[in-house]
Amino acid sequence: MTAVIEVEEVSYDYPAARALFGVSFTVEAGVVLALVGPNGAGKSTLMRCIAALDAPTEGRVRVAGLDVAEDPRGVHRVIGYLPDFFGLYEELTVRRALTYAARSRGVAPAATAQAVARAAGRVDLTDRLDQRAGELSRGLRQRLAIAQTIVHDPKVLILDEPAAGLDPAARRSLSQLILALAAEGMTIMVSSHILAELEDYSTSMLMIQDGRVAGGGVVAAGGGTRDGTRVAVVFAETPADLDGRLAALDVTIERRDGETVVLACDGEDDALLARLIGAGLKVKSFSPARRTLEDAYLSEVRPGARS
Amino acid sequence: MNPEFQRNLWLEAAPRRAAWAILTLGLIYLAVGMLAHGDTDRMISALGTAGGAVFFLCALVWGSRAAGQSVLTEIAERTWDFQRLSALSPWAMTWGKLAGATSLAWICGLTGLVFVGLRALTQDGDPWAMLFLPAAALFFQTLSLSLALIGVRKARAEGRAARAGGVLGGLALAIVLLLGVASSSGFQRGAGLGGLGALIGARGEVLWWGQAYAAGPFRALATLAFAAWALICAWRLMRLELQMRNTPLIWPLFLVFVATFMGGFAFLQGGWALSLVTGALAVALCAYAAAFSEPADRVRLRQFAAAAIRLDLVRAGPLTPATLAPTLLAAVLVAASFAAGGDNLFGRAPQAAALIAFLLRDLGIIALFRFGPRPQRGDFGAIVALAVLYAVGGSLGAAFAQGLGAALFAPLPNAPWTSFASGLGQALIAWALAIRRIGAPEKTG
Repeated sequence: MTAVIEVEEVSYDYPAARALFGVSFTVEAGVVLALVGPNGAGKSTLMRCIAALDAPTEGRVRVAGLDVAEDPRGVHRVIGYLPDFFGLYEELTVRRALTYAARSRGVAPAATAQAVARAAGRVDLTDRLDQRAGELSRGLRQRLAIAQTIVHDPKVLILDEPAAGLDPAARRSLSQLILALAAEGMTIMVSSHILAELEDYSTSMLMIQDGRVAGGGVVAAGGGTRDGTRVAVVFAETPADLDGRLAALDVTIERRDGETVVLACDGEDDALLARLIGAGLKVKSFSPARRTLEDAYLSEVRPGARS
Repeated sequence: MNPEFQRNLWLEAAPRRAAWAILTLGLIYLAVGMLAHGDTDRMISALGTAGGAVFFLCALVWGSRAAGQSVLTEIAERTWDFQRLSALSPWAMTWGKLAGATSLAWICGLTGLVFVGLRALTQDGDPWAMLFLPAAALFFQTLSLSLALIGVRKARAEGRAARAGGVLGGLALAIVLLLGVASSSGFQRGAGLGGLGALIGARGEVLWWGQAYAAGPFRALATLAFAAWALICAWRLMRLELQMRNTPLIWPLFLVFVATFMGGFAFLQGGWALSLVTGALAVALCAYAAAFSEPADRVRLRQFAAAAIRLDLVRAGPLTPATLAPTLLAAVLVAASFAAGGDNLFGRAPQAAALIAFLLRDLGIIALFRFGPRPQRGDFGAIVALAVLYAVGGSLGAAFAQGLGAALFAPLPNAPWTSFASGLGQALIAWALAIRRIGAPEKTG
C-alpha cells in the first residue's frame, strides 16, 4: 500500500500555546481514518496543517507525494477539506455553487457541467440544483458543502466533525456517502469526539491527546471485528447470583451493556454455550462480541481497561 | 472566465440589480439636466459636477468598501478557507475579487466619468481627470483589499476574527497619513509655494527633481503609479493567504520608489542632501505602517532569527520582518545626506539622525506591546504608549529643562544630538524588553 498522508514530527504553535507536539504518522491509500480525541486535543489544527491551510512550526507534511510547505497549491488541488464550521454562498443556487467549486478547483470548463451533475448526484441534490443554498435545510446544506468538497474528485478527503448537528437520518446518509467514496478509492480522514459517529465507516483510527499521538499511532478500528474470545449473552431470567454461578464455571463478566452481559472465556463458543445451559442458565441470545471503535479507543487510552 | 470574477459577478452585478442601479442614476442625471432649463453649457457643467459626485461616491467610496468586503465577508460567512483551498492562482484571486466585487460600483461610477469627460472636452475641465479619477478609485479599492488581507492575517495571529471596522479604520488612517505626508514641510518646501495645491488641484506646475511638470498629468501618472504598487501589495498579501512564500525584494523596491518620489519634491529647495532627508522621513513612515501591519507572530520571528543566525538566507528571506528594510534604508539615506553635506543643512540631517534613533525606539515599543499576552490589544496599547512618551514625556522634560529636556523625548532641531543619544538609549531598553517577550516559551498546557 502507498502512503497518501505522511506526517513527520509536526509541531504547531499558537501565539499563546503549543497545540501539536512532534506528531508523526502515515495513512495508506484507501483508508478511512477516524481521527479521535477529546475536544481541544489538536485534531482540527492537525487537519488544517495537512490541508495546507496552516503551516506547522516544525516538521513536515506530505499529501499524495506533495510537500505542503513547498507546494501548498498543489496540495489544494488533490485535497478536499470540510472544516467543522463551514459557510456557503447563500445567494448562489446549488448549481452555481458547485460550478464555482469545480472551476476554482481546476476542473476544465468543458468538464464542469458533468462534474457538477456527478457531485450533486453523489449527495442526492440533483433535484435541488436550482434552489438557493440559503433555502436549504441543515442536512442539505451539509450535503452541498460535501459536494463542493468532492466536486473535483480529490485523492484525499478531510472532514472535521462532519456529523455535528445532523439528525439521525442525515447521519446515516453521511455514513453511506463516506462508504461509497471510500469504495471508489478515496482516502478519507474524519474527525469526531463522538466515537459512535465513526463506527460505521472507519477502517483505521488515530488518537490525539493533548497535542500528541496517543496509543500506537494508526491502528485498526473496531469495524465490527471479533473482540478476542468474548461473547455477548442475554439471559432470559437473569439470576440474582449470576456472578457466582459464572465464576463456578470459570467464566468472568467483562462488562454489562443493559441486559447484555459480555463474558470473557478462553474456550470455544459452543463449549461455553453448552456449559451455560448445562448450569441451568436460560440463554436468550448468544453471539461473539464485536470490537467497537470505543473499545479500540479505550484500549489505547487505558491499556487493560477492556483487554 | 476567472471563476472568482464570475462568482462575484453573479453576486454583485446580477442583471436586475444593474438595471435598477442604471435606472436610478439615469433619473438623477435627468433631474440634474432639467435644472439647466435648456441651457446646454449649464447642463454640461451641472452634469459634469453630478458625474464627478457619482464617480466619487460609487467608484471611490462604494468600490473601496466592496473591495475590502470581498475578503471580510468570506471571513464572516466562513467561506474563506474554502477559497484558500481552491486551485486559483494568487493573481487570479486578486483581480477576480477586485474587479468582480466592485463591478457594479464601476458600472455606476463610469456613468459619472462619461459626464466628467464630456465637460472636460467641451469646457475648461482637466482632460487628465479621465485618467486620475479611475487611477484614484483603483488605488483606494486596492488599498482597501490590501488592508482587509492585512486585517485577516493579523486577526488569525491574534486568535480573533477580522472586522470591517478595523479595515475601514485602517483605510481612514492611511488617508490621514497620506495627507500628513503631503502636507509635511519637506514636501511643501520642495514643491514650492503652490506645490501641494498644485498637485491636489492639478493646477499650474509641480517642481520635481528640479524639473517643472504640468500638475494635471503629473497627478494622474503619480496616482496610477501608486495604484500599481497597491495592486502589487494586494497580490503579494494574497500569496501569503494562499500559503505561498514571498521573496523579500518587492518591498525594498517600493521603499526606494517612495523615497525617490518624495525626495524629488525637496530637490530644488535643498539639493541632494534635503532630498535624501525627505526620502528618509517618508521611508520612516513606511516603517511605522509596517510595524502595525504585520501579524504579531512570535513563532515566525524566532524562525527568522534562527535562520538568520545560520546564514540560511533562503529560509530567512521570506520571514524577514517588514520593518527591517525601511529602518535600514532610512538610516542609509540619513547617512547619505550627511555625505552630501546635510550636516550644514540648518540642522536637518542631525535631526533626521535623531529621528532614526527614535524610530528604533518606537519600533521597539510597538513590538513590546504587540507581542504581549493580549496581542489583540497590542496596537492600541502601543499607540497610547507612544502618545504618552511624546506628549507627557516631552511636557515633563520641557518643564524641567526647557528645550533640552523636551529633546530627550522627541527628535527636536534645537538639540538633535541630545535627541539622538536619548533615542538610542531608550531604543536599547525597549528592544531588550521586546526581545525577552518574543523569546518567551509557549505554554505547554
